[in-house]
Amino acid sequence: MGASVPGEASAEGGPARSQSFVAAVRSALAPVTGALRSLEIDTRMLGMIGALIVIWVLFNIVSGGTFLTARNLWNLSVQSASIAIMATGMVLVIVSRNIDLSVGSMLGFLGYTMAMFQAVWIPQSLGLGFEQPFTWVLTLVIGIALGAAVGGLQGFIVAYGGVPSFIVTLGGLLVWRGLIFRYAQGQTIAPLDTTFQMLGGGTVGTRVGALGEWPSWTLGVVMCVAIVYVMISSRRRRRRYGFPVRAIWAELLVGAVACGAVLGIVLVANSYPLPVNVAIQYAEEHGIPVPPGGLFIPTGVAFPVVIMLIVTLVVTFLATRRRFGRYVYAIGGNPDAAALAGINVRRTIMLTFALMGSLAAVSAAVQTARLNAAVTNLGVQNELDVISAAVIGGTSFSGGIGTVPGAILGAVVMQSLRSGMVLLLVDSPTQDIVVGIVLVAAVGLDAVVRRRVS
Amino acid sequence: MRRCLAVLATGFTLVVSACGGPSTSAPGCTIGVSWNNYQEERWAKWDEPAIKAAISAGGGKYISNDAKSSPETQASNVDNLTSQGAKVVIILAQDGTAIKPAVAKAIQNGVPVIAYDRLIEDPKALYVTFDNVLVGQLEAQAVFKAKGTGNYAIIKGNKADANADFLRSGMDKIIGDAVKSGAIKIVGETYTDNWDPAKAQTNMEQILTANQNKVDAVLSENDGMAGGVIAALTAQGLAGKVPVSGQDGDKAALNRVALGTQTVDVWKDARLLGKTAGEAAMQLCNNSDPSKVKGTAAFKTPGGNSLNSILLTPNPITKDNLKDVLDAGWITKADLCQGVAAGKVSVCG
Repeated sequence: MGASVPGEASAEGGPARSQSFVAAVRSALAPVTGALRSLEIDTRMLGMIGALIVIWVLFNIVSGGTFLTARNLWNLSVQSASIAIMATGMVLVIVSRNIDLSVGSMLGFLGYTMAMFQAVWIPQSLGLGFEQPFTWVLTLVIGIALGAAVGGLQGFIVAYGGVPSFIVTLGGLLVWRGLIFRYAQGQTIAPLDTTFQMLGGGTVGTRVGALGEWPSWTLGVVMCVAIVYVMISSRRRRRRYGFPVRAIWAELLVGAVACGAVLGIVLVANSYPLPVNVAIQYAEEHGIPVPPGGLFIPTGVAFPVVIMLIVTLVVTFLATRRRFGRYVYAIGGNPDAAALAGINVRRTIMLTFALMGSLAAVSAAVQTARLNAAVTNLGVQNELDVISAAVIGGTSFSGGIGTVPGAILGAVVMQSLRSGMVLLLVDSPTQDIVVGIVLVAAVGLDAVVRRRVS
Repeated sequence: MRRCLAVLATGFTLVVSACGGPSTSAPGCTIGVSWNNYQEERWAKWDEPAIKAAISAGGGKYISNDAKSSPETQASNVDNLTSQGAKVVIILAQDGTAIKPAVAKAIQNGVPVIAYDRLIEDPKALYVTFDNVLVGQLEAQAVFKAKGTGNYAIIKGNKADANADFLRSGMDKIIGDAVKSGAIKIVGETYTDNWDPAKAQTNMEQILTANQNKVDAVLSENDGMAGGVIAALTAQGLAGKVPVSGQDGDKAALNRVALGTQTVDVWKDARLLGKTAGEAAMQLCNNSDPSKVKGTAAFKTPGGNSLNSILLTPNPITKDNLKDVLDAGWITKADLCQGVAAGKVSVCG
C-alpha cells in the first residue's frame, strides 16, 4: 500500500505509474469499499438502484413531471408485477444452471385453462352459474396445482430424463401454445368472474383491486416488523456459529433502507386517489357527501403488487433459509460436488421447475384478471422479459449466483423503460431497440466491473 | 419430374401419390385452398365450410393444405395443390410478398389464383376481401358520431401488417378534416406488437396518464385490442363514457357492445367471404380471366398494381342492430347478453 505516495509514482515509467494511480484510487476509496463491505451489500444491487433512479429522473424531466406522479408509479407497479413474480422463480432455475423458455406459453396455457374454468366449466358445464363466491379460489388453486404439475413434468424430463432444459422447455414453448389453439380454437374467453378480476388490480363498478388506505399501512408495518425480525434472528444465528456480524450502524442502515422502501411503496400507493368517476360512484353508494374540492379516497397497494410482495418473501425464504434453496445454490456452484455431498440433485432440479410452473400460474391469474379476458396470444414472448429481468437483476448464467430481490428490481427497470417510452409516445420498434441495448449493456458492464474487481 | 422431386422434398406424403403420373381427372373442377394458419379458430369454423358449400354447389371438388404460419411452406403448398390437379387456387397468404413467385408460377401454368382476405401483389390475381379501408371508415364513423370533437387516441395493429395502415387511412377519411381544423386532437397514436391486447392495455394506461384522463374517444383497430383499451378505461371509471371502436365480431366484443362499453364492432361475415370466393373459383374454372367474374372492379394496390377485386361491404354492429348477428346465428343469445341488465337492450329482453 506504500505505492500510494504521489511523489514516488511520478518519477517512475508509464505502466508503473498507472499501476500506482490505480492503487492511489483504491486507497482513496478504501473507506467507501470498507463501508460497503461491512454493509454486506452487493455493489451490483447498488448499481442497479442507481440506474433505476437515473432512468426515473430522466423520464420525469422529459415527460414534464408525469413519470414520477403517484398514478404513474402505481401503474408501473401493477405493470411490473406479473413479470416480477415469474422472475423470482427464474432466478432459482438459472442459478441451478438451467433455463425455462416455456414460461410465456405455460402462462398462456394456464391462463386459458383458468379462464375456461371460471367462465365456462364451473358456470355452464357444471351448471353452478356465474359469480359464485368460491369461483376465484377454486380457479386459482386448480391453476397453481396444474402449473406445478406442468412445470414439474418438464423438470422431471430435465432431471431424470437427462434432456437439456433448453430443449425440454423449447418443446414446452411449442406444446403449451399449440394446446391453447387445439382446445379453445383461438377464441377469446371473457368476461371473467368479478372477484377474480380483483387479482389484476382492475376496477369493477366501485370495487377496486387494491387494499385501500389502512390495510396498506398495516401491510407495510407488518412487512417492516418481518424484516427487522429476520435481521435480528440472522444476527443471533451468526453469533451462535461464530460468524462475523455487521457493525450495529450498518445493521441499522440496511434495516432503515429496507423498511423505508416498503413504507415508500405504501405511501405512493396511498397518494394515488381513486379516479374521479369511481370515487363519485363510490360516494353515492356509501352515502358519503362529496366535498367541493372533490373526493380523495386513497387507492392503496394494488393486489398484484401484494401478491408480488408475498411471492418475493416466500421465494426469498425458500432460497436463503431452507435446505431446498441451499441445495439449489450448491448445485449451481458445482453440480458434481453437490452430488458427492449427498444432495439429491435430480429431485431439487425438478422442484425448481415445479415452482416455476406454479409461479407462471400466479402470473397468469394476474394477467388474465387484469385484461378481464384470456386471449390466445396471452404471454407471448414473456419468457424473454422474465429471463431478462433475472439477468439484469444479477443472475449469472454460469450458475450459483443470483438473488430474488435483484430480479424484482430487474423487472421494474425493464418495465420502467417500456412504460416511460410509451408515455413519451416512442413507437414499439424503437422501444425494442432501447430495451435490447440496455439488456446487453447492463450485463456487459457488470462483467467488466467484476473482472476489474477480482 | 423436377416438380415431382420438389413435391417429394416437401415431405407431404399426401401428395406423393400425385407424382406417379398425370393427375387423376376429378369429376368437375378441383379447387385448392392454401391456408396460412388453420389453427386460428375462424378459418375452420366459418370460412372453410362456406367455401366448401359453394364449391360443392357448383359441382366442384375441394382440397386444401395448411402452411402453419410459414411463408416457405406455403409456397411449396401452392405447388402441391396444382400438382394434385387443382384448376383454381385460393390462397390465404401468410406473407403477400413472399408468395408472389409461387402465384406467378401457378398463373403461368394456367391456374388462376384468388387472393383470399389478404392482398397478394400480383396483377393477374383476383382479390376477394372485405374492404379494409371501409372497415376503418365505419369504425371511425360510429365513434365520430358519438363524439365529434375533443381528444382522440388511436390504437393501431401490428406495424408489419398492411391492414393496420389500410384501417388507419379509412379512419382518416372520417376524422381527417376535423383533425386539420383542430376540432379533434390526436393525443396518442401507437402501433401494437402482434395486435396484443395486453400491450394495448398498457399503452392505453400510459396515454390516459399522460393526458390526465382527458381522452374523449378511442379508435381501436380490432376487438382484441378494444378489450385491452376498455380494461384500462374501466380502471379509471371511464368505460361506457368514452366511445371505443373495434372489428372482427368477437363474442366478447359483441357482449361489450350489448353492455355499452364498446360503441361499434365492425362485423365481417366470414361465411359471405367464403361463399363469394367459392363461387368466384367455380366461375374461374370455366373462364380463367378474373375480370369476367361477377362483381369485380379494379383495385389499386399500395404497390402500384391494378388488379381485379371483389370488395365486400362489412356491417357495423352497434347497440341498435345487435339483432343482425343474432339472426345470422353468429353468436348465441346467452353469450351476447351475459351480464346485460334487463330492459337495457331490446334483443336481450
